[in-house]
Order: sequence, then C-alpha cells, then structure tokens
Amino acid sequence: MSKKIGILTMEGTNCEYETFFAFKRLKGDAELVHIKQILGEVKNERSIGDYTCIIIPGGFSSGDYIRAGAIFASRLSKIKDEIIEFIEEDKLLGGICNGYQVLVDLGALPATKKTISDEKEAAFIINSSNKFECRPTLVKHVNNGKCLFTRKYKKDDVLLFPSAHGEGNIVFRDEETLNRLISNDQIVFRYVDDKGDYSGYPWNPNGSIFNIAGICNNKGNVFGLMPHPERVFYRYMHPDWTRNRDIDRGDGLLFFKSIIDYVERY
Amino acid sequence: MYYLSNVKKIDLSVSEDQLEQIGREMGLGLNRYELGLIKDYFKRLNRDPTDIELQSLAQAWSEHCCYKSSKNLLKRFILSDSSQGILLGEDAGIIDFNEEYAYAVAFESHNHPSNVEPYGGAATGIGGVVRDILCMGAKPIALIDSLFFGLPDRDKRSKFLFNGVISGIGDYGNRIGVPTVAGIIYFDEGYKNNCLVNAGCVGIVKKSQVVPSRSKEGNLFVLTGGKTGRDGIHGVTFASAELSERSEEDRSAVQLGNPILEEPLIHACLEVTDKGLVDGMKDLGGGGLSCAIGEMSFAAGCGACIEIEKVPLKEEGMHPWEILVSESQERMMLSISPDKVDEVLEIFDYWDVPATIIGRSLPGNLFIITYYGEKIYELELDFLINGIRYDREIKVREIKEEKEYFDEPKDYNSMFLSVLSSLNICSRESVIRRYDHEVGGRTILKPLNGGIKNPSHGDAAVIKPLEDSYKGLAISAAINPSFMGINPYKGALSAVDEVCRNLVSVGARPHSLADTLNFGNPEKPIVMGDFYESVRALGEIAKELKIPYASGNVSFYNERSQIEDSQIVPTPSLFGVGIVEDIRKVVTSDIKGENLLYLIGDTYEELGGSEYLKIIGKKGVVPSVDVDRLRRSIEAVLNGIKNEIIISAHDVSEGGIAVAVAEMCMGGGIGADLDISGIKGMRSDIKLFSESNTRWLVEVKKDDEKDLIRTFMECSVSIIRLGETRGDRLVIKDGNKDLLNVSLIEMYDTWSRMLEKIIL
Repeated sequence: MSKKIGILTMEGTNCEYETFFAFKRLKGDAELVHIKQILGEVKNERSIGDYTCIIIPGGFSSGDYIRAGAIFASRLSKIKDEIIEFIEEDKLLGGICNGYQVLVDLGALPATKKTISDEKEAAFIINSSNKFECRPTLVKHVNNGKCLFTRKYKKDDVLLFPSAHGEGNIVFRDEETLNRLISNDQIVFRYVDDKGDYSGYPWNPNGSIFNIAGICNNKGNVFGLMPHPERVFYRYMHPDWTRNRDIDRGDGLLFFKSIIDYVERY
Repeated sequence: MYYLSNVKKIDLSVSEDQLEQIGREMGLGLNRYELGLIKDYFKRLNRDPTDIELQSLAQAWSEHCCYKSSKNLLKRFILSDSSQGILLGEDAGIIDFNEEYAYAVAFESHNHPSNVEPYGGAATGIGGVVRDILCMGAKPIALIDSLFFGLPDRDKRSKFLFNGVISGIGDYGNRIGVPTVAGIIYFDEGYKNNCLVNAGCVGIVKKSQVVPSRSKEGNLFVLTGGKTGRDGIHGVTFASAELSERSEEDRSAVQLGNPILEEPLIHACLEVTDKGLVDGMKDLGGGGLSCAIGEMSFAAGCGACIEIEKVPLKEEGMHPWEILVSESQERMMLSISPDKVDEVLEIFDYWDVPATIIGRSLPGNLFIITYYGEKIYELELDFLINGIRYDREIKVREIKEEKEYFDEPKDYNSMFLSVLSSLNICSRESVIRRYDHEVGGRTILKPLNGGIKNPSHGDAAVIKPLEDSYKGLAISAAINPSFMGINPYKGALSAVDEVCRNLVSVGARPHSLADTLNFGNPEKPIVMGDFYESVRALGEIAKELKIPYASGNVSFYNERSQIEDSQIVPTPSLFGVGIVEDIRKVVTSDIKGENLLYLIGDTYEELGGSEYLKIIGKKGVVPSVDVDRLRRSIEAVLNGIKNEIIISAHDVSEGGIAVAVAEMCMGGGIGADLDISGIKGMRSDIKLFSESNTRWLVEVKKDDEKDLIRTFMECSVSIIRLGETRGDRLVIKDGNKDLLNVSLIEMYDTWSRMLEKIIL
C-alpha cells in the first residue's frame, strides 16, 4: 500500500513548499503534484489513487478572480468519481486556506449528507473587514475526536495559527446546516481571543459565523482550515517567539504529525 | 511588401525645428541635440531611418534606460571600488551568502505610472522587480516597498494615490506568493501630485546557477510569458519627462499586471535555470523588446536578428514599432542554445506559459529586425546602447541651518502624544496587515514585533532563505525626507546610518545596500546639485563602512507641477541587507520583562527635520554622522546581542528617544520608569525628541548590566542608564522634573489608530 502524501498545486498556489517541507521535516513521504498530472494532461501522470493523503495548500489558484477556489474546484470536478472513491476509502483530503475554499466549492465540505454534496451547503464571502487580513489568530481545538487531521491535539488546546486571506468568511445554506455540523462534531477549530473566549474582529479575522476556523466532513477524513499551520511549524516562525525562547515546537507541527501517523497506519 | 505599409520611412533631412516637430509627433522624448546625432548617423549610412528604428533609439536613449544624466556621477561616487562581495551586477546585484548560495537584490522606482494609475502602476512595479531577481536565476523570497505620498488628510488626490498603491502592491504581491516584509510609508507636502513608489526584491540563488543578462552567439532568443499588446507603450519616455495635466491621457503608458501569469513564469524560469538550460535571461521592462535584446546582445558582444512578426500579440493590427517598444508585463527573454530549445519549450508548456522562438544571436555588432522577411531595422549596437551621457549643470544649494529658539512645551504629555500620533510616526499596522508578510514560511522576524494583541514596529525583517541553514538575511529600508529637504548631504548620510542601525538592532551585520534615487528634473541645476550632494554622501559613507551598493535605480523628472521650484523632496531611498549568523539569536524591539533600559550613543541638539520641530513649525539643524563612531557602535551592539546581553533593541529615529521607548513599551505591554538626566547640556524636550544619529535603546537584565557596560567601554561607545522597565505606564523624568506620565493603553490607542482614521 502506498503511503504517499501529495501536495496538489495549480497556477497561483503559493504555499506548496512550506507545506511540503512541514511533512518532510517529520520524515513524511510527500511530493508536489500538479493538477495537470492528476488530470492526465502531461506526461508524468499521477492518479489521486496513488496517494493516501492529498493536501491542497494555500494561494490564489488562478488568481481567485471569480470566487476563491472556484476554478480549482471546477477542474477537480472532472475527476469527481475518483475523489468520491478516495474519500470513501477513508483516505485523507485536506485543504488549507485556498485549499479549504476549494473543498467547500467542490462540495467535499461540509458534506453533511453525501460524500460530495450536489448542492452547495456553504460558501466563502469576503472578510467582514472588507480587506485582506494577514494577522496572527488563535484557534481552539473543539473537536471531540471525529477529525482525523488533529488527533495529536488535545481538546480545548488553544493554538496560534496565522491567517492571511481576503475571503475567509464562511456562510452556510441555512441554520440547519450549521446545527448539523455542530451535532455531527464537524467543527474542528474556532477563533478565540487571547483569553480563550469567542470574540469578534480582529480575533475572528473574517467574521465567520460561530467563529469557525476549520471544519471536517461527517467521516472526519476531509478537512478544511482557514489559517496556516505550516507557517508555525517551528517556534521561531511564531510572530511573538522572541518573547519566550524556551519552547522549540511551533503550534502547527502536530497537525502534520497527526496526518503522517494516520497515513503510516493506513 | 503589403506588410510594409506598417512601417514608415522618416525623412530627417529637414530643419532643426521640423526635426523637433517630428520627435514630438512620434512621442520620442528626444531633444534637438539627440535628434541631430540620429540625423547625422543616418546621413552617414546614406538612408532614411524607419519609424521602428527611431522609436527604438528613443527608448534606448531615454533617461530611464541609459542614465544619461546620472551615469557619470554614479560612476564617480557610488559604483567606484565599492564592489567587494558583489559577484555580478546586472538587472539585480548578486552577493555572497554562504559557500553554495548567493542572494540577489533589486530596487526599482515605478513613480510615473503610479501617479497616473496607482493600482496598476504599483502592481506592475512589484511584478517588474520580481522579474529582475528571477532573470538572474534567483528565487524571489521577499519584497520591500518604500512609498512617499502627499498629505492624505489635506488632499484627496494623495488619499486616492495612497489607497490605490497599497491595494496594487497587496493584490500583486499576495498573489505571486512573495512576502512583503519591510518598507517605508512617508507623508510630506513635497510629494503632492507626485507620489513615489519604490519596490525592492531579495532572492536566493545557487552560485553555480546564476544566469547573466546576456545572449550568446549562435543561441536562440526565446520570448516567454505574456503576450505583447499596446499597454505600456512609451513607458520609459513617459518616465523621462515631467508629468502634466495631460499625463492622464497617457494611461496607455501604464502597463497592466497579471500576477497569475507571473506565478507560473517564476516556476518555469526557475526550472529551466535549475536544469542548466539557459545561457542568458533578461526581464522585459522599460523599453520592451528593444532594450532587452539590445542590452543582452551588447553585453555579450554579439549581434541579433529578430523576426518581429513571430511575437505573440494581444491584439491585431499592431505596428512593428509598437511591438518592439511595448512594455506589456510578465515577459522574459531567454537565450537558449539550439540543442536545448525543445526541452525549454516543453517546460514552459508544462506550466502553461507561452514561449516562442523569435530570433537568434549572430556574430558582429548589428541588431537587425525583419518583418515577414523584409529588413525593417538595422542599427549598430554601439550606437543604440552606448548612446549619450551628459554632465548636467550642477548648482549646490546654500544650506541655511541654525538652532532656532522656541518655547519649551508646558504640557509634555500632550506634546508627546501629538508626536506619537503624527502621520509619519503612527502605527503602520493597518497597511502591514494587507500584505502577506509570511507566505513561504521564511519570515522569522515580521514587520510587527511584540505581543500579538499589541504589536509594535520592528527595525528589520529577518528571512531564513534556506531550509537546511540557520543563516538569515535581515532587510530594512530607510530615508528621512525631512532631513533631505533641509540638507541633502547630511540627509543621505543619515539614511545609511539608519539602515545600519535597523539591521544591527536585530543582530544583523550590514552587508549590502540598494538605492533608488528619486529626484526632480535633471535639467534644473539645483536638482542636479541635490543629486550631487546625495550621491556624494551615499558613496563616501558606504566606502568607509565597506558596504557595497548591490543594486540601484535613478528616477528623475519627479515634479509636483510645472512651475519653477516644484521638484519633489530629494529622495534617495535606501534598503539594506544584513547577515544574521543564526536566526535563533535575533532580538526584537519589544520590552521583555522587568529589566534595565540603556541609551546607546550621543545625543545632540539636532532637531532639524524632526517630527517635533515640524509640529512646532521650525527647521533647525539636521543630524550629522560620525562614521567612525557608527562603525564602533555597530560592533558593540552586535557583540551585546551575540553574547545575549542585549535582549531587546530599537533604533532611535523619528520622534527621538520618546517615541523609541514608547514603541518598545507598547510592543512588550510593559511600561518604563526613566530619568533622562544622564543626557547633559540641553533642555528636556530636546533630550526627548532630538533625532541624532547612531543611537539605540537596549534592554538588559540587571545581572548583565556590568557586561553591557564593559562591552560598550571596549568599543569607546557611550551608554547612559535611563531606568527600569516595569508597570503599565511610561514615566519619564529629567532629574527632579516630571516630564511624561502616560498609560500604555492611552499611548497605544493614540498611536495605533491614527493612520486607519485618516486613510480608510
């Protein structure tokens, strides 16, 4: 069985290297793979079935001029059946920032009813501040164990994951969808302030309802996260690291460790 | 011959007046003398030039492309024997980093386009400087932008320019995934109607893979990237003249940016470089194909032949001259050996970036262009590129500097808060947050330091360029236009001093400099006088410090209006790069705990151009620099940081000690209890607000105080104990006289919201 982790890119993806290195530093068997390889448009073809985990990293795929992630999602929908099979085989499909937007646009998240929903259950709109926001944000790990990407974090851990996005405000089709997410344990991270309380802007940098920063599907093997764990792999990548030099590990490391552990056991 | 209706022959055997008329009609931007040289040249050849030849000469001879007014002075002061450590100086400077790698530095102005169309002008400024790095084979890893505007609270145009420029930089930089880590935002009446946009980029490259900006005999020219259109025609001739009310009509001279073409272009260019398939590479910037091919061939000492109809176009019906001089963005010219060209084309195809063979390099020194088989252009490269140089008339202005009398403030608290909230001192957070400053995961020190709830300004950003090395690059920009307005010589010295202070504050050794020299119309002797004084200072101090200029750019014709004496404030904007031996040892400006605060360096009554005197409405004496003391101080502070004695450091600049300590306290969320009576011989307000150079504030643990004193004694640098860091208020006394007593919350509120209130 293959153990590979694929970092899926297309033009405008721009967080692929730091995401790749995050796995490599933990001896993960990761490689960069371009969507043209997956879609069989170039010689060195790949199939998503070759991987146990696919991560769609951050960036501005195709410029995000239409709706963040829409073009990437539309290109991926050409292999919708393979993606459904991938998810149903309990493999991991994750998206960070732009990747999260792609998975939501594709219907793989929140996917409360089917593996990939036919109708849109959620969408991202422009930040409530009406601006691109690059700022440190704190998130609380609120998942009760469903999410396979965050098993190494304890419940209620508060982590610093930096945000950098313009369209991160998630909205749901209806209140029922949000309620279903909550009752299904599909909420994984929520923005909090420095006291650990749910607060508004700027602690919630985009205005997302229920302070949602990351969600998973009903099986816990598709996951999307707005802020960037790969930007806090080491402590010296934290924005305030010089205030406390005794810690080595960055807050994002365990995210990648959780994935590698799952992939190795798969 | 059908196609030749697109190419006109121009008869130059006319009177001087008529010659000027022709130049004007064609938009050449050449003067009588230059047109005369061209006329004589073709007379010798015994033929009439074509329009495409004239247009090409106009590009190559523009101030922007050939530095005709500045080259002689630059050679004399800046470029002379300060080249140690520089491996190659072309589109970007290449400087030694470690055994295997070098870093690349480029700094460019994009002022004229940004004044007409701020969003597009600023965005393409970023795109262009990134390609300057890329064409050396280097991976772009950090962006810097230094921006200068009129007063946005007084005139709407300045506010419009400000918002457009910030959005343009953010939208382009964020999309291509290169972090914007440092820069300057400065407001001054002197930039009204003529804002300055200076963009810099730093890259990293294996020394064995550095690609020169030149062609090679027998090689093919492969044009890659975007298609060529009518956008950006006459960009350089437009940038080589003053803007006028009619400049709005020159919108076609402003290029359009497409970051989502640039992003794969970066991948493709780095891949062909990595595989060793490229002999030469050059960005198509000012002057378009004309300048790129001309300069690549001239540098290689060979000729070139281009089939111009092969250039992929955005629109039909473009004249050959338009194709040749178009400055459409996201294009790169590659010089490729014929046996490697298939592999190169395949790589570009993989990244969906168009690449087309448009010609080849030939022996000789002729640049030839054909159009469907007909020769429409044939110029000697010597004549085209080595064009002209001027020794412009220089008039060094009389400097009137004197200490002026003014009353001591009655209420120090309110004066301090006015200084702290002034436009040039208040927090830049609202702008910094709009740029992604950590994409790439290499930004170890970000533009804001301290607690995440109340961050404050850092002195320099620190980048970790390589995955498997802790060696880092520190980056910082500096220039104080208020000093420049009073005394360009001392102002330029101060800029170098400040760059060094900033780099040293984080623990980096200053290693190279880049300058963008923004000035008014060089045909005015007074402008050339300011230019002369500035480059003289820049050259002298860098030479003494043994820091080379790795990259530079000159932007003339920055004028606020067409009346006399309307040149902008002389603005030699600088950025510096420093080397950090181990990024885990860097320090930040925010106060870390209950410790001691020391002032490094000497304070004089130097308030000229200070924020304090600007509020009061006086001029005063601009700070000078003692280079020897600067050099000793750099060593002492670096030693203190290396030995972990100094745990926080901040340079003292705009707003003096008062503002520096406030920023440190705000970032740390810890107050200070200080007594400035250790500074002797001047009034309290002067001690607080003087902007004397070569000073830092440092935080030190009580146990390390003796080591600190010894470190500085050894280098003969004076230090003064100011007091202790503690509590939640900034309290400053001068002996038994109470000066300041302000809470951190009040300071932070005043300082952090100001820019947002005025701009957004």
